[in-house]
Amino acid sequence: MVSQLPYQRMLEECLKGELRVLNAHLPRQQKLLSDLLAEEHPHVDCNDGSTHFFKRKELEYLASITGADEQKALLLPILIELGPNQGEVSIICEPGITEKIVVKILNMPIICEQGRITLYRPQLGVLRKVLKTTTQYVFSSRTLK
Amino acid sequence: MPEQLIKVRPTKIELIKLRRRLSLSQRIQKIVKDRLSIITLEFLQRASEIVESKRNLLDYFSEAYKALSITAGYHGYIALEKELVATEKDVMVATGSANLAGVRTPSFELAEAEKTIRGYNLVDTSSFLDKSVQLSEVCLKAIIELAELQRTLDLLGMEINRTKRIVNALEYLLIPGLQATIKYLYMKFEERDREEKSRLKRVKVLLQRE
Repeated sequence: MVSQLPYQRMLEECLKGELRVLNAHLPRQQKLLSDLLAEEHPHVDCNDGSTHFFKRKELEYLASITGADEQKALLLPILIELGPNQGEVSIICEPGITEKIVVKILNMPIICEQGRITLYRPQLGVLRKVLKTTTQYVFSSRTLK
Repeated sequence: MPEQLIKVRPTKIELIKLRRRLSLSQRIQKIVKDRLSIITLEFLQRASEIVESKRNLLDYFSEAYKALSITAGYHGYIALEKELVATEKDVMVATGSANLAGVRTPSFELAEAEKTIRGYNLVDTSSFLDKSVQLSEVCLKAIIELAELQRTLDLLGMEINRTKRIVNALEYLLIPGLQATIKYLYMKFEERDREEKSRLKRVKVLLQRE
């Protein structure tokens, strides 16, 4: 039974599109919290040409738990990398300020190893509930392996 | 559903191409499944937030109506309307979009959220009016928040459906089809090898006879 799949081409186009949208939402450049606080409508431009707006309430919350110097070092949005293991995700960050924020939100100690904080899915839920617009998902190439 | 074979020439090159496509499809399936699980997580979170938000909204409205009734009772409807007609102002909502794992969701924020001067005469009005205006503003904020959540939930639901269709197509159609075709090609090559061997044997026998 040799036949041409009728939806073959359509499916492949669909899949190509899927890969395109995967990381299209990532910001072209992360911005400092201090700069975002000074903007009237805090936002970043994304790779797909769209604009990602931050909630001022979230920025103000982050400002309330960080010092003035830390605000000048904190890059937003915070990137959450989806790893190959489905139960875990990691936050890409420099040890220090982001670590402090995550500790504060989760209210538990965490370890930052090689620029990554590893979290489990339930913890991710808690983090995302507080930082909805100031965090973004990254589908890393490690997922593909 | 029986796996449908893809129409290809039975050559090694085609087999290599098919194997590459299979590996790509499997990787994409993994990514799409990851994305689906993330979107589902966000969907469930938004759903629980909507329940909470709706409950809050009803509470705020009930309080606001109570306060308004008391204010109307104290001032009278005509006097109240006279005071409030001067304070009418368009609601300014800053709209934008946020991106959630590839889903563009709306973002609404009430501009001038913290107003201290409301426009009505403070001398002629009572603290009841202040209270009811304050509660109405809280209601407005809650409505905007709920609108954003509701639309986000709709969009996430649509995206979940779309992604599920892709996952199913990969899982039940594309990958089994590719696997079946690869298997078919292997069988074809083995058959060709067997034919070749028997042909060589036959030739050998014929040569030995001569």
